[in-house]
Amino acid sequence: MTAFAALRHHWSRHGTLIAGAIVAVVIVLAFATGRLEARKWEPFLLPSTWRFLGEGLLVTLTVAAAALILSLTFGLLLGIARSQLRGPLGWIVSAAIELARATPILAILLIVLIVLLRTGLTQNAVIAGIVGLSIYNSAVIAEIVRAGIDSLPRGEVEAARSLGLSYPQTMRAVVLPQALARMTPALVSQLITLIKDTSLLFIITAPELLSFGRSFYNFYGNLLETYIVIGIIFFAINYPLSRFSRRLETQRPSDERLRIVGEEERAT
Amino acid sequence: MGLFGGLDANSQLFIQGYFTTITLTVAALGSALVIGTVAASARVWGGPVVQSFVRGYVEFFRNTPLLVQLLFYAVLLAPANLNITRDPMVAAIIGLSIYTGAYVTEVVRSGIISVDPRQIEAARSLGLSQLEALRFVVLPQAIRTVIPPLGNLSIALVKNTAIAGGIAATDLLKVAGIIESRTGGDFTPYIAILVAYWTLTLPLAWAVSRLERRLAFAR
Repeated sequence: MTAFAALRHHWSRHGTLIAGAIVAVVIVLAFATGRLEARKWEPFLLPSTWRFLGEGLLVTLTVAAAALILSLTFGLLLGIARSQLRGPLGWIVSAAIELARATPILAILLIVLIVLLRTGLTQNAVIAGIVGLSIYNSAVIAEIVRAGIDSLPRGEVEAARSLGLSYPQTMRAVVLPQALARMTPALVSQLITLIKDTSLLFIITAPELLSFGRSFYNFYGNLLETYIVIGIIFFAINYPLSRFSRRLETQRPSDERLRIVGEEERAT
Repeated sequence: MGLFGGLDANSQLFIQGYFTTITLTVAALGSALVIGTVAASARVWGGPVVQSFVRGYVEFFRNTPLLVQLLFYAVLLAPANLNITRDPMVAAIIGLSIYTGAYVTEVVRSGIISVDPRQIEAARSLGLSQLEALRFVVLPQAIRTVIPPLGNLSIALVKNTAIAGGIAATDLLKVAGIIESRTGGDFTPYIAILVAYWTLTLPLAWAVSRLERRLAFAR
């Protein structure tokens, strides 16, 4: 190894450390020169702040969990339907999935809220939010499920059927376990998108982390600081998930990786 | 008034909203491609510290809600802070570009590393110049990897422009709300904007799946 290569190698191991140190120095300088006002950051040192924001985070996570369970259930059913149904019924399922996926999620949330309010079913914006998030994510998950099922070699099903398994048995014992294993990285990615999208409940006036943040900055007058902290909270939840998703993906043999993706393309 | 003088005020507003959504998409896509290409090149060929910064950029902006990012820029650019502009369109374009740019970075990076460097050596030893090797060997393959995911990102971007309404940009979705309140609760504008979004997203989705099949075959 040449001296330069050795130096480069040495540096590459500390690249993140050095980058982190540069960021830290910039932040300290910003405080020292008064560009960042310490006064506006001080509320974040109070335990009461974190109890308050924690409450909002709890709502956000509850909404995400509820929407996740609903979307997984309906997504699985719709995905199987799309992959297996032929004829007019199959077209209807496909069209519904494609249309939902082609619509901005915020539009779905607003329309669901208005419909629920007009029909008098509920006044609760959180429920409207969970329903809206579930409609969109069911469609996305259905597409992931379809791709997972269709990615299996046709011989798998044929072998199971010729061994005397019924169609439901084949799905349950042969197709779904393998398809699910292939889908997990994409599903975890979609969970990240779902968690990010819960912030849109803010716009349909449902309480969640961002709305709690608003009450907080209205009191202390520190908008920018609150947005940064909320961004960091979301990052702290989503970053481990994205690492997890990538690890799952790279563990699979390359021919078992799905080309299908959630809302945004994952590049690996 | 002007080009759409013959239409009533609501239809004019609707058409303006449609063009606002297209403007946001095109402007953000253009700058996201520039940001993504520069960042991906830095990520692949830059030093370790530069690489860490790009990784930090990609991870932070992909794992944070777009709405929080847009709200942040809107407040940051406002008179109370940097005093640059009150215009939500500027904040929306900046926010959408930086957010989408993080995704583009990963896509372009995967395009660059999808081509085996030994292919360049092979092309060079066959007598091609470095530039010719890039032009005839690397680029055709890299573009094939990159185009379908970039298409998907464009679709996601069209849909994400709806969030700009959250910082008071008058995009399609916002326009539906305005017309609804003007007409005392008419629901038709919401159906109209759904169709309007589909005129943008569905042809794109169709084109992407077509391209994906063609490029997969040609590989």
